[in-house]
Amino acid sequence: MLEYLKEYFDYRTFFTCLALVCIGLISIYSATFDINNALNFHRQAIWAGIGFFVMLIMTFLPLRTIQRLSFFLYFLTLAILIIILIIGSTVKGSKSWFGIGGLGGQPSEFAKIATVLAFASYLSRTGVSLSQVKHLIIALCIFGAPMLLILAQPDLGTTIVFFAILLPVLFWAGASNFILIAILVPILVALGALLGTAQFLIAAIVGATLLYMFHKNRFAVAIAFGIALAIGLTVQVIYERMPQYQQKRISTFLNPEADPLGAGYNVVQSKIAIGSGGFFGKGYLKGTQTQLNYIPEQWTDFIFCVPGEEFGFLGGCLVIALFFGLVLHSLRLASLSKNKFGSLASIGFAGILTTHTVINIGMSMGLFPVIGIPLPFLSYGGSALVANMMLAGLLMNLYAHRKSY
Amino acid sequence: MSSDEQFFGSPSRRRVLNIIVLIVFGILFLRLYQLQLLYHSEFGKKSEENSVRSLTKDPVRGYMFDRTGRLVVDVGPAYSITVIPASFDTNNLTFLSSLLQMDPTLLQARINRGRAYSRFSAVRVKRDVDFKTLTTVEENLYLLPGVNYDVESKRLYPVKVRAPHLLGYCKEITDAQLARFGSVYQQGDLIGSSGIEASYETFLRGEKGFEFISVNSKGQILGPLEEGQRDIPSKEGFDLILSLDFGLQAFAESLMTNYRGALVAIDPNDGGVLALVSKPDFDPSTFSGVTSSEVWARLNNDPDKPLFNRATMTRYPPGSTFKMLVAAAGLQEKLIDERYRITCGGSFRLGRKVFKDTHVHGSVNVVEALQYSCDVFFYQLILKIGLEKLYAYSKQFGFGQLTKFDIGEENTGLIPSTEYYDRVYGKGKWTQGYLVSLGIGQGEIGVSPLQMAQYTAALANGGILMQPHAVNSVRNKRTNRFDLIDHKEHSIGVNQKILSIIREGMRRVVESPGGTGGLARISGIVSAGKTGTAQNPGEDHAWYVGFAPFNHPKIAVVVMLENAGFGGVKAAPIGGMVMEKYLFGDLQRRAVSPPSLKDTSSHSVMH
Repeated sequence: MLEYLKEYFDYRTFFTCLALVCIGLISIYSATFDINNALNFHRQAIWAGIGFFVMLIMTFLPLRTIQRLSFFLYFLTLAILIIILIIGSTVKGSKSWFGIGGLGGQPSEFAKIATVLAFASYLSRTGVSLSQVKHLIIALCIFGAPMLLILAQPDLGTTIVFFAILLPVLFWAGASNFILIAILVPILVALGALLGTAQFLIAAIVGATLLYMFHKNRFAVAIAFGIALAIGLTVQVIYERMPQYQQKRISTFLNPEADPLGAGYNVVQSKIAIGSGGFFGKGYLKGTQTQLNYIPEQWTDFIFCVPGEEFGFLGGCLVIALFFGLVLHSLRLASLSKNKFGSLASIGFAGILTTHTVINIGMSMGLFPVIGIPLPFLSYGGSALVANMMLAGLLMNLYAHRKSY
Repeated sequence: MSSDEQFFGSPSRRRVLNIIVLIVFGILFLRLYQLQLLYHSEFGKKSEENSVRSLTKDPVRGYMFDRTGRLVVDVGPAYSITVIPASFDTNNLTFLSSLLQMDPTLLQARINRGRAYSRFSAVRVKRDVDFKTLTTVEENLYLLPGVNYDVESKRLYPVKVRAPHLLGYCKEITDAQLARFGSVYQQGDLIGSSGIEASYETFLRGEKGFEFISVNSKGQILGPLEEGQRDIPSKEGFDLILSLDFGLQAFAESLMTNYRGALVAIDPNDGGVLALVSKPDFDPSTFSGVTSSEVWARLNNDPDKPLFNRATMTRYPPGSTFKMLVAAAGLQEKLIDERYRITCGGSFRLGRKVFKDTHVHGSVNVVEALQYSCDVFFYQLILKIGLEKLYAYSKQFGFGQLTKFDIGEENTGLIPSTEYYDRVYGKGKWTQGYLVSLGIGQGEIGVSPLQMAQYTAALANGGILMQPHAVNSVRNKRTNRFDLIDHKEHSIGVNQKILSIIREGMRRVVESPGGTGGLARISGIVSAGKTGTAQNPGEDHAWYVGFAPFNHPKIAVVVMLENAGFGGVKAAPIGGMVMEKYLFGDLQRRAVSPPSLKDTSSHSVMH
């Protein structure tokens, strides 16, 4: 019995996920109990229950079914993203909340998982290889379509997450170094374009050099560089036309302390919260920054401050360590999986978890711009929690089927 | 990406991914370590500043009691409306200004001034508001984040005693004072700015207390921090026991009401000021709460200069009250003795210049010269003494220098020296003739009533020059003991025998027929004194100096009335009544009216 459990039950993912959900609920309670009688906590607890159910379904669905459903789910999320673009309600200047019976849902959370599944499903087909230009273009389009739709919302943060998932899955799928460089260079050039003309030129030169170093033929270098320059220049145009709050987020990233009461306020207060926690923390429900509501909407993107402030270095380390362990476990699973679909999906999920964790905790500690990325399992928000528990269920499923071909 | 193993799930690519994950999570751990362990103290401090506001609790200012333990300066509550600039919503400016009935621009200016000092400290925008304003603001506090009120202590003064120049007043601290005294004060604090309030500020002010409260990010108060366990209570200021006699001060003020001038009564045994009056004066309660600029302007521009302390800041010629000093110098220098006589022919000629006397006094010795206030005697004597000796004796008696009165605000006065005349007239261009009028306290000589009181007390007590002072002791609220304040004293260097000759002259001024100070006589007790009538471009200034009882003096008094005429007529009766009141607690002779004064004294009216 125990042997059977060890063989098929992914207790690492299961308990890590449960631990993170619990820490999340505890933190949300601390951040909100005095504001709205812990309404957020109660809602999140209900979502955790629903998420648990979804997780179980995902664990026990046959892997083949999931693989077959991948494209259905993918196109379903694309369709929802399109509908949102047309009729979606605007929250904080961004059309991403999908109103269903009064409950907000953020389909982009599911889009990430569906995209990873669709990508993995496509590349695991026999005869599909990234060395063929046609297959490469289709694979890139699988990522490109939701990215463009989300960028149009506009949700810059999630778009960046998509990029951060695309690179490792391509890498794992065996894409040549040139292709990876060709995808990286436009990002580099675009970032340079946002910083200024000199940075733009430096990025372009570095990008051209990289492309040339890993080149296959000059024609491909020229095309890739041309695309990079075009993206760099359009980014500048897009930046000009961006809503002010997004512009501010980017400029605040460049110098967050410059405006401590404006856009950089959250980061400054969040750093104070975490820094003042010290080694043991201030004690549960005793964090002054948290209890006195110094960090606006702390229960969403800045939830990491709560364990950071109230449980200190111990609490912060525990949270990071849990994510770290889960990501390492996913990477190991990718190597262990005998089937391509499971292996690629594991890498994709590791990419989602790493990107979210590093960007979110990084921004709480002033290492990253505030781009509105929730912390998986912890941040308040039903759709994100359910999506992440679904992801955990899928991981458990992949673990159980790691030895099947 | 050094590997060329470009195929699905290559182990080398797994290593690359592992390393990337290790690095990015490593950065998170390191950053957490940096924030929470390396910079913990810095962020801990910031978080405390963030969520904890300290409310200053002003201490109760020390009380002032008179020498008999009677309360002179009391403390009562005054309510001020305060604003924490960081928490105040500027949209509420007009609303708050309408509640307070004050100009919005003034309100804004006060908030800005507080903001410049500290955004998180409450600044008082309106002090001493009436109860109705207080309650309307209180009712609307929930609409006005950052607005609050506090209670501070406000001075309450007794009805009968004003003594504004002595007691002084407090004013809102200026930016310059704030820069100088730093941490002890805050914007909007009251600070003693004149009189005892100023000179004993460090004793009276007490120590501020602090109440710590939690606030949220909007600056709304959530309640006391840790149930107030960390609060620091304010410490009351120390009480002052004044040398003042409440009853005497009240009486002296009533006598001086219609005059311009000053009265100083001093205890000759220790230099304690029993009463100090400067008229015209002002009501000290004018400054107890808010002082509007109009009130200030009115007091400052008043031609009577009510803010000016005539008891310590004036420099008038002392007139004949100076003669005791000249006599003492002559006797001490052995230029004359008590048997030395001159014949007064009613005037004195030096070269071509004639110095007049008021009467022809005939043969007079030093005692009689004082008794009748014979000028000729002193014209001759001063020439024997000379300017240098006169200057030295004047200094010995405390003239031409500060008395070191504990409330300060005094004038050195003027005693001419050789250097002074050289400077004013040129070396060698002045003659002994310039000296002659100094012998009768006229000319280029200036003294304050306080200096005169010190001098009179020294004559009375056997030659000890006492540092005049208004405060006898401080009640230390921590030890609950009375700490005496040390006061300096030194001998004037005139021997006792000579002083008793002088005192005999002064006794006769009051007690003997023909004495110029008969109106100062106190029934049932022997007193001594000297009248003075200081010539002046306008009406003469009237002086009277005196002490009583003659044998064991308990009070020395100086009365100076500007442009009032003869000292013997105007000043002497006031001096006598003040001493009588002090010694007996009441006046023995109640029926003294100005007309009868003139009748009974016409024969003795001289200088």
